[in-house]
Amino acid sequence: VFPGVRQAQWLTKTKLVEGLPPAVQGIMDNPALGLQELEERAKHVVSHARLWDTTEVAPRREKYCPALFENLIHICRLMSGKYPSLSKRMLARNCRIAATWERESILLQVRGLSGILMNSMIPIPPVASKEEILATKEHVLETFYPIAPTIDLQEVNVYRELNDTGQCFRDGYPYSHPHTLFFLESANVRTDRFRPEQLRAKMLMFAFGNALAKAKALHGNDPKVLEQPVVVQSIGTDGQLFQFMVFQLNTTDLVSNDGVKNLVWIDSDQKLYERAQCVPEVKKRVVTKPAGIYGFQPDTFKKFLALYLHGTV
Amino acid sequence: MAALGARRLLRPGRRWFSETVPGAPSLPGSPLYPPVVASITAKSKAAKSRRLERFNQRVHAAATVEEKLRLYGKLQRPKYMVYPQTFALNADRWYRSFTKTVLVPGMPPRAAAAKFPVAAAGAILESGRAPELGAEAPGDAVAPGAMKTPEPAAEAAPYVDIGKLRSLACDALLQESFYQNKKRPFLYRDQDHTPGPFLTQLVSTLAASLSGRNPLLAASSLDLGPEVNYYWHHGEEVVVHGHRKGRIDPVRFQIDDNPHLQIRVPKQLPEVVPLESDLGDVPVIDHKPSKLPLFKKQYENKVFIGSKVADPCCYGHTQFHLLPDKLKRERFIKQRLEDQIEVVYRSNGIASLFAWTAAQAMYQGFWSEADVTRPFVSQAVVTDGKYFAFFCYQLNTLALTAETIKNNPRKNICWGTDSKPLYDVVEDGNVKGFNDEVLLHLVHFLLNRPKEL
Repeated sequence: VFPGVRQAQWLTKTKLVEGLPPAVQGIMDNPALGLQELEERAKHVVSHARLWDTTEVAPRREKYCPALFENLIHICRLMSGKYPSLSKRMLARNCRIAATWERESILLQVRGLSGILMNSMIPIPPVASKEEILATKEHVLETFYPIAPTIDLQEVNVYRELNDTGQCFRDGYPYSHPHTLFFLESANVRTDRFRPEQLRAKMLMFAFGNALAKAKALHGNDPKVLEQPVVVQSIGTDGQLFQFMVFQLNTTDLVSNDGVKNLVWIDSDQKLYERAQCVPEVKKRVVTKPAGIYGFQPDTFKKFLALYLHGTV
Repeated sequence: MAALGARRLLRPGRRWFSETVPGAPSLPGSPLYPPVVASITAKSKAAKSRRLERFNQRVHAAATVEEKLRLYGKLQRPKYMVYPQTFALNADRWYRSFTKTVLVPGMPPRAAAAKFPVAAAGAILESGRAPELGAEAPGDAVAPGAMKTPEPAAEAAPYVDIGKLRSLACDALLQESFYQNKKRPFLYRDQDHTPGPFLTQLVSTLAASLSGRNPLLAASSLDLGPEVNYYWHHGEEVVVHGHRKGRIDPVRFQIDDNPHLQIRVPKQLPEVVPLESDLGDVPVIDHKPSKLPLFKKQYENKVFIGSKVADPCCYGHTQFHLLPDKLKRERFIKQRLEDQIEVVYRSNGIASLFAWTAAQAMYQGFWSEADVTRPFVSQAVVTDGKYFAFFCYQLNTLALTAETIKNNPRKNICWGTDSKPLYDVVEDGNVKGFNDEVLLHLVHFLLNRPKEL
C-alpha cells in the first residue's frame, strides 16, 4: 500500500538521508585505490556472469545473479593483497536473524534467513557525527494516520522472544561484528522477486535487526541512547539494479516517538549496466548490435567496492 | 543404354569441340581429366575414408573456434558417459587407458625450484628426480614434501606467513563446523552442510590473501559450481545392433564434470616436463569399456571449460572437487574395500583434469587431427572435507582416435599424491592436529605461476 521504506522507517524509528554518507564517498574518490584498472575487470566479470557462464545461449537469473555477486566479491576480496586488514572478514551464508523490539506498545519481531552476511573483526566506525545524531531529535517521524503502521505485517503469537545474532553464531566467534548484508533477488519469475521499494524496506528491517541484536549483545537489554552507534551496511540486487544502504543505530529506546533517532543513508536504483546482449541482433542479414554488455556504469561498481572497503581503509 | 544415349548427345558436342582451334595445346602439366577419387556416398571403405577426409578438411578450415567446436561435436551417436567421481573398482586404471595417461606418484619438483633460492633448488632437484622415474613407493610422495618443509620453515618469513594462513584456515573450519548455528544436515547431504561451505571459504580467503604474492591470482576468475565437459574418440568397436549393425565405429566418450570450485587464469601455467617425455606406461585393458561398468547414452556433445570461448581467462589453474556422501571413506571400509579409497581420488583427479585440459586445448584451436604444440598444465585438489589429495596434469596429446594414435609416441602425464588429513578433529572451538604440510601443499598450488610473472 505504502512505499515500504516509509513504513519501515516508522517501525525502526529512523531518519532517511538520500545518497551515501560522506565517509563512503571519500573512499570512492580516493585515487590511491586504483579504481580505474578495476573497471576493466569489473566489465569482464559482468560479461562472464551475464554472457559466458553457461553452455546454453543465455544464463537464467537464478544463475547469473549469484554468479555476478560472487564475481564482484572475488574482485573486492583480491584487494586484500593491498590492504591486509581486509582478510579479517568472513562471509556467512544462510544466516538466521532474529530480533525483537517494542514500538509504542506494539511488539515487533524480525526473523528469517537474511541472505549472505559478511562479518568483520573490527566494527565500522560511526558514520554520522555527534551533532547530526543530536539533530535527529528535532526530526518528526512520519505517521500514517489513520492507517496503523503495522499494516501488512503478520501478527503472530510469539512465545519466545529471541534476541541475538548470537543465535546465528555462538559465543567466542572472532568475527563478531556484522559488516554488510547482501540480498540477491534471483527468482526467475518477476512476481517472485521483491520490487525495488520492497527490497529496500527488507534491507532496512534486516540491517536494523542485526544492528539491534549486536547492540543488545554489547550494551545489554536496557533501552538507551548508544554511546558507540552500531553501523551495519546492506546491499541488495536483482542482477542489474543495485540498492546501497548504510544504517546507523543510535538508540535502542524505541518505545517512544521522540528523542534521538536512527539514521539510514540509501542510494537506490543504481544500474550496473544497461543491457546484456547475449545473441547478436541481426536485421536483414547485417549484425546491428554485436553481443556484449551495453551501458556499463563504473560508478555503481565503485560504490560496491567502497562499501566493502568501508571500515578498514 | 544410358551410355548410347550419352554418346548420341556427345557427338554434336564433339563436333563443336573440334571446330575450335585444333591442336591448341592445353597448359603443360595440368591434367586433362578430373582426379579419380573414391565416391562420397558409396558403402565402401574408400568412400568412408574420403568422407572422413572431407570432414577433417571442414574442421581445419573453420574460421572461428566456436565453429570448429560446433562441427567437431555435430554428429550425435551413443557414447559412454565417464563419471570422474565413481565407485567402480579400479576405475583409475580404466580411465588412464581411455585418456592415455601415465600416473606418477608424488608431486613434480618444479614447484620447489621456482620458489626458493638457487642453492636450495639444486638439492631439491636432485632428490626430486627420483620420483619422476616410474612408479615409486608412496613413501617418496612424502619425501619431496618433507624436503620442502624444512626449507619453508627457514624461508617462511619473507615468502609465506604460514601462521596467518593457518589461522585463516582454522577460522573457516570453525565457522562452518562450530560457530554458525545451522539446522541438521539433510539426509545423505552431509557434504553440503559443512565440508562444502568450508572448502569455498578456505579457497576464497587463501586465494585473496595470496593474491599479493601471485599476480596471476590477482587476475584470476573464481567459479562456484561450474560445468566442465569434454567429448572424444578413442579406439574402435563394431556396432552391435541396430540399422548400423556390423560397421566399425570409433568408441566415443563424454565427461560431464561439476567441480566444487575452480580458478581460471588468463595466462597458461608453465610446462612441467618437455612435450615428448616418457615417464611410464599406459595400462592396456582388453575388455570393452562397458565392463567397467560404463553406460552409453546419446545427447549433446559438449566441450566446455567453465565459460565460453570469448572469456579472456581461458586457461585453467586449479580445480577443487568435493567427494559426495556416496563415496565417503566409512562406506568403503564397511564394504572391506580399503584399497579403493585412493582409487576414488585418483580417478576423480585424472578424469576431471583430462577433461579440463583437453577442453582448454580445444578452445585454442587444437583437436585430435591438429595435435597440441605446447603442453597444457592444470592442477586439482580432491577432498572429502578432511582428507586432501593433490593432482597435477600435463596434457601432451589430444590425438587419441584410432588413426591418429598409431604413430603418436606422446603420453599425458598425471602426478598425484595420496590423501592426507588436514586436521584430526574439531572440538569445542579448537582444531586439533592441524597438518601444516597439507596447507603448505595447497599454498604451493595456489602460488603456481608462469616464470615471467
